[in-house]
Amino acid sequence: MIAARGLSSPRMLVLPAAALIVVFVVMPYLNIMVMSLRTPAQGNPYGEGFTLQSYLTILTDAYYYEAVLKTLRLGVVTSITTLALGLPLALHINRAGRRMRGLLIALVLSPLLVGIVVRSYGWTILLGNAGIVNSTLRNLGLIDRPLPLMYNELGIIIGLTHVFLPFMILPILSALQSIDPAVSAAARSLGARPFTVFRRVTLPLALPGIRSGTILVFVLAVSAYVTPALMGGMRIQTATLMTVDILIDQYRWPFGSALALTLSIAAALMIFAFGRMTRTRWTQ
Amino acid sequence: MTQVRIEGLTKRYGSATAVDRLSLQVENGQFVSLLGPSGCGKTTTLKCIAGFEEVTGGRILFDGRDVSREPPEKRDIGMVFQSYALFPHLTVAGNLAFGLEMRRVPPAAIRERVARALDMVQLAPFAERYPKALSGGQQQRVALARALVIEPRILLLDEPLANLDAKLRDEMRLFIRDLQQRVGITTLYVTHDQSEAMTMSDLVVVMFDGRIAQAAAPQEVYDLPASEAVARFVGNANILQGNVRDGVVHLAGGASPVPMPQLPPGPVRLMARPEQISLVQAGVASDMVGRVDHSYFNGSHVDYRISTDAGDIAVHASTAHIFPAGTPVGLRFDPARLWPMEPRA
Repeated sequence: MIAARGLSSPRMLVLPAAALIVVFVVMPYLNIMVMSLRTPAQGNPYGEGFTLQSYLTILTDAYYYEAVLKTLRLGVVTSITTLALGLPLALHINRAGRRMRGLLIALVLSPLLVGIVVRSYGWTILLGNAGIVNSTLRNLGLIDRPLPLMYNELGIIIGLTHVFLPFMILPILSALQSIDPAVSAAARSLGARPFTVFRRVTLPLALPGIRSGTILVFVLAVSAYVTPALMGGMRIQTATLMTVDILIDQYRWPFGSALALTLSIAAALMIFAFGRMTRTRWTQ
Repeated sequence: MTQVRIEGLTKRYGSATAVDRLSLQVENGQFVSLLGPSGCGKTTTLKCIAGFEEVTGGRILFDGRDVSREPPEKRDIGMVFQSYALFPHLTVAGNLAFGLEMRRVPPAAIRERVARALDMVQLAPFAERYPKALSGGQQQRVALARALVIEPRILLLDEPLANLDAKLRDEMRLFIRDLQQRVGITTLYVTHDQSEAMTMSDLVVVMFDGRIAQAAAPQEVYDLPASEAVARFVGNANILQGNVRDGVVHLAGGASPVPMPQLPPGPVRLMARPEQISLVQAGVASDMVGRVDHSYFNGSHVDYRISTDAGDIAVHASTAHIFPAGTPVGLRFDPARLWPMEPRA
């Protein structure tokens, strides 16, 4: 009886999804955790026994911990640039008419529709040393030598900002659209000028969207691989690029796992802190 | 305290005219309802007064000063919205303080005025709650307090009771009217509910198609409607066809003529409210005969539908004697309360 009722309970409905998560998320993570504690070996991915040596190396060797810090920095800067570009865009789209809004959202999503390689080579045409921006500036006599716009951190930030902008705009837009227009009208009737309405009403009400957009972009930017590889020209070693190199090219599974986990934990701590900072009491 | 004058107000959206040359004067401390079906322009009128809509033509004057071109934040109005429009990210006290902060009232005075306003709407214990944690009726009272705490020149209410359940609506009706009387503020109230307009207002403005059909005291609108459309919109109305000869109305399907010496000769249509018609047993002297089609017992009274030669007639009668469906009955009209519809002498 009990078993039969258990099987028919609505909780059973989450079982397929839960199984998928266990097999494809929980188990690989556990596997990586265990792997990061294994010892290195020659000719084999890992050796006998367990050690904390990989973590010690990462935390003491500047080559590694600076790669982690650089990656987190790229994540933070990309979050800020997408927010700076995305918030005004979301506000504009929110105020546009129905048809215009559809068009603008399609434009916002367009970077996701272009293959990552094509997109990155598009940027090369624009930002490379012989690219449109540099040659124009040179022809105008404004610069002697090409500006380093690509194959550095700036290039990575430009590329990441471009492709992750939709992930900032869409949550903010959805927060803006859930604001009752009468709320802004009420603020006006109580004596607030349009900019005050924005500062005291619209912006605070958009905060939950800003918050999720920022977290989303940060996570995506920190874990990005192809864009940093192409836009950085393999000259900038992010922790993500380094991890793949160590795991696949150098065949050092324990150390690569430790590096990947260090980045994950550091990013998770930052997200947690950001979440605490931007917590809103009214949405609880 | 402010007098509101509207002169030839017109609002067009493209080729559609929402408000058509509307003129109205609201005196100091008066409670005026704009009553009409949806799309009649009553809410547009209110939005023009609040400054949320730009007027296409005409003027709006507060105490003689033209405010038609001023933005809403300059008009010093208190407005209550159908959706309440409370700030979800501010506490009840924060919602009330907003308008005072905009007016740069010192914090100590803000605290005192917010506390007083919350007492006024009996919500003092809820000051630190967020709107989401309040019931519909409580949110409504917060919205009212938020509009009044700034001590505005006029109070505008846009269907404020539409989202409440029936019992609460009746309570809030009296509450709002009572509050308005105590504060003595000039108030404009938009509603499509005729009983709401009746019970609360000094003046009822019935609107159809962007124009005023009638502006009068509630009892006048009810008893002496300016047109058949008003008669039908405000309460139930029976319209009886008749013909006047020598000051006597001969009703279509009627048994006996009704004397109405003030009417000119010719065809006439008379309005009789369902409660102004009484029923008598068949055979007793009456103005018209019919048969009970339906009777709906309603606790305090009975609603009948009587089929007669002049069509179906609604009667609202006491429960002293209930005529069951199928019974032949006589109808009696009170000549003093039959109201001739247009065309009228």
